[in-house]
Formats: sequence, structure tokens, C-alpha cells
Amino acid sequence: MSERTVYLDYAATTPVAPKVAELMTRLLTSGSDFANPSAVHPAGRRAQALVATAAGQLADLLNCDPQQLIWTSGATESNNLAIIGAARYRQKRGRHLVSMPSEHKAVRDVLRALERDGFELTWLAPDESGRLNPESLKNALREDTQLVSIMAVNNETGVVQDIEQLGQLCRDADVLFHVDAAQAVGKLPLDLAAMPVDLLSLTAHKFYGPKGIGALYINERPGCHIEPLFFGGGQQRRRRPGTLPVPMIAALGCAAELAKGRIPADLKHLESLRDQLWQGIRNLDGLRLNGDPEHSFPGILNVSVDDVEGESLLLAMEPVCVATGSACNSQDREPSMVLRSMGRSDAAAQSAIRFSYGRQTRSADIEFAVGHYIQAVERLRALAPGQAA
Amino acid sequence: MSENDPYSSAVRRLFADTAHAGRLAGGRSVRLDRQGVRIALWMTLDGTRIEALRYQAWGCPHLIAASEAFCRDYEGRPVSELGGFNAQSLMQSLGIPVEKTGRILVLEDAVRSLGT
Repeated sequence: MSERTVYLDYAATTPVAPKVAELMTRLLTSGSDFANPSAVHPAGRRAQALVATAAGQLADLLNCDPQQLIWTSGATESNNLAIIGAARYRQKRGRHLVSMPSEHKAVRDVLRALERDGFELTWLAPDESGRLNPESLKNALREDTQLVSIMAVNNETGVVQDIEQLGQLCRDADVLFHVDAAQAVGKLPLDLAAMPVDLLSLTAHKFYGPKGIGALYINERPGCHIEPLFFGGGQQRRRRPGTLPVPMIAALGCAAELAKGRIPADLKHLESLRDQLWQGIRNLDGLRLNGDPEHSFPGILNVSVDDVEGESLLLAMEPVCVATGSACNSQDREPSMVLRSMGRSDAAAQSAIRFSYGRQTRSADIEFAVGHYIQAVERLRALAPGQAA
Repeated sequence: MSENDPYSSAVRRLFADTAHAGRLAGGRSVRLDRQGVRIALWMTLDGTRIEALRYQAWGCPHLIAASEAFCRDYEGRPVSELGGFNAQSLMQSLGIPVEKTGRILVLEDAVRSLGT
């Protein structure tokens, strides 16, 4: 019998919703829905209809046109395609790009790759709560700026940026605005018809869909285009060729439809869990919240404590499954770049723990985690020699 | 140690049962604060034999497990053997990954310093 685990790492990935899993299983095993959706025969047309349905479901969640969506393998690919594709498309106009050091590595490293290719980067630091001051962005925009990339919800802290205001600044300056919305789609209401967003990355596995499928939204207003990164087929209007994985796409669509109907209830549930968690740990000596209580996604709570080492804390908390830094980065024990950019010390960043919870998390799970967290902190503090005078 | 588990069963066992964590009154002690870790060792002697060892450590699970393993292994041995303490062989026996060498070398320095 397996040991009880309490999974509080929903920001890393969510379980697949049962209805989504049922649909995938049916499509993978039906024997009649396996065709290549590019084929024009009846089986191909059936597969294409499934893809069109999914595009409609996702477009409905985002309030955009299904034609504005490109299927990818996930947010990392979407970020690469959006940033490199747009930068290359517009490079004759200028080669200046703007972003933040608190972005996910899947954005930071893409931009650094472009920097090596001769693009110029401006990195805008967040304030100590993790938010970007719009005035900083306004001051950073130049005649040759072509692209700004800012994430909607930070994957480590849950801090929500003011996408509308930041996007409007870009729109006013005729600069493309890319949003990594991997932690926002399906969790927070997004209305792309009303938002000044040009490119938006998402992935299914952050909102109860399967891993390996994502999408990129492209506004397609004048000047908003991307050059493809892949070549070899005419699919998706040559912007992202390759045979479409129909069961995965259908699953993403199903997850999007489920999310649309559940966002208010999910948020209420998450707020209740966050409040319980915060009340449970807030009185611990030396505890500090990493984030902005006024502008945060309630499904993530990131805290640091004085004089505790993060890796040991993570192990001491088992069987509670939480993260230090981002899960994608969990083998890299360097202090979190996100927290460092918010002005946290190496020690504070090292001790940071990200709790993230979701639909299946119950109050008893939070109670269990609170107990394990406090116990682990106290144990490790007792193990440590005092700070040198 | 499974492919995804960064900790060997020995490291997990020692980290979970830190029986030698703490301080000793009297005897010798040493404290080092480098490489992003802090370690303090205490030792009492019965003649030339190590009577008791204790440690305090701030660092990763590997450092804590290695400190615990050292204390368990060296109690009752001649104090002269502390000079032969070798981080590499301890790392090998506990399955500590090579990227943690710097931290375990701090323990080695502390142990050798305790012996002098």
C-alpha cells in the first residue's frame, strides 16, 4: 500500500480531470477517430471536426476567434514560437525586447538566446511584492522596441500582473505584447477580445488537461505575425506544421470547457484553502510572504522562513508534496531568480516553499500540510547552529 | 535511490533519525561557516578515545545525513583516526552526488580540525 501523500504542487501540474481522461481514452481506443485531420476522406473529416470543436471550446474560454489559436506541445513551445517568431518577423523594424527577470525560464532563456543573436534586452525588475510598475515599462519602451513579454500569473509566487495596463502601453507604442499565461488560463477569467494582448501562451496540464498539448493565441492585427520555427508541412497555415494530435487537442478543449464553467467556484475554493493555510502558518517566527496579497492568484502561496534551508525543508515535509522555486527548476538548487528579483536575500530565497493547491485539495490536506510545515521548520531550526556573530 | 529520487535510502534514513544532533558540554568543538553551509561539531574524550560526538548543521539533507553518519561511525574510536576522515569515501558509501562535494568537504575540514 502506498504511503499517504498530500499533493500541494498544482502549479507544477494538475491531475487530468476525469471527464477529460474519459474523452482521451475513448478517442485513443475507439478505432474510428484516429485519422489524420489533414486528410480529406470521411475519417479525416471526423478528426478535423474534433479539432474544430476543441478550438471552439478554447476560444470560448478565452473569448477569441478559433482561427487565432495554434496548437503546440505546451507553454514552453508556445513561448519559443511567440517570442522568437515575433522577434524575427519584426527584426527589420528594430531589435529591442523587454521582459522581467521574474519570468519563467521558458521565457528568460528564449530571450537570452535572442540576445546571443544580436537582439538587445531590457530586464525590468519587479517591486518587492513582485509586481511591475507600469511606469517602468513606459520608460523602457523605445523607437526600436518590438516585443514585450510579461507573464499573467507568476508560477512561483502567484502574483498577478496588470496585463490590461501593461498591454495598453505596448499597444499605444505599436509594440507587440506577449503574455505567458500558463498559470492563468482556466484559472482566472481572461477576455482576449477586450485585452490588449497580441500573443498568449498556454498549456493544458496546468488546468486539468494532459501534458504535451498547449496553444498559442495570435491576435493577427496588422503587424502581429510570427515566423515559424518548424518546417515540413502545411498544417496550421504553416505557422506550426506537424500532424495534429487529435486526442490531446480534444482533451485540451474539454478541459477548457470544464474550466469555463468552474472558474468562479474554483476561485472560491482556492481562496478558502489559501486563507486556511495562511492562518495556520502566519504566526511562525521569521515567516514572510513572497507575493502581493492584493494581486495574487489564490491557488499559490509562497513563503520563506528565517534560518531554514529549503532543500532540507522540502525533504522534512514529506509526504507533503510542495516545491522550492519552480518545479521545472527543482534539480537546480540555486536560489530562485524570481525571489531574488523581488529583493529577497539568498537565504530567504533558499528557504522559500511554494504551496499550490487545486480542485481536489481538501481542508484536511491543508491541515496536514500546516502541521508538517511547522514541525519541519522547528526541527531544522533545532538542528542548525546559530548564525555567526 | 530511484532515478528521480535525489536521496539514497541511507541518506533518507540518517536524515530522518538525527540521534546525534545537538551539543555537548565541555570537550572540544569546532564551527565552520562556508560554501553556503554551517556546521558545528562537539566531542568529548575518554583518554584518547572518542567518548561522544554531536553536531549541528544548516544545509542540505546530504550534509545533515553525512554529519549524522560521521558521529555514529567515530564514537568509540581513537581520536587519532579523525585525521583520516575522508569525505569522498563517506559520499560513496552514502550515495551522495558529486555536485555536493563542496559541502561535504566542509564537514571533512571540520572533522580534521576537531582532531587537531
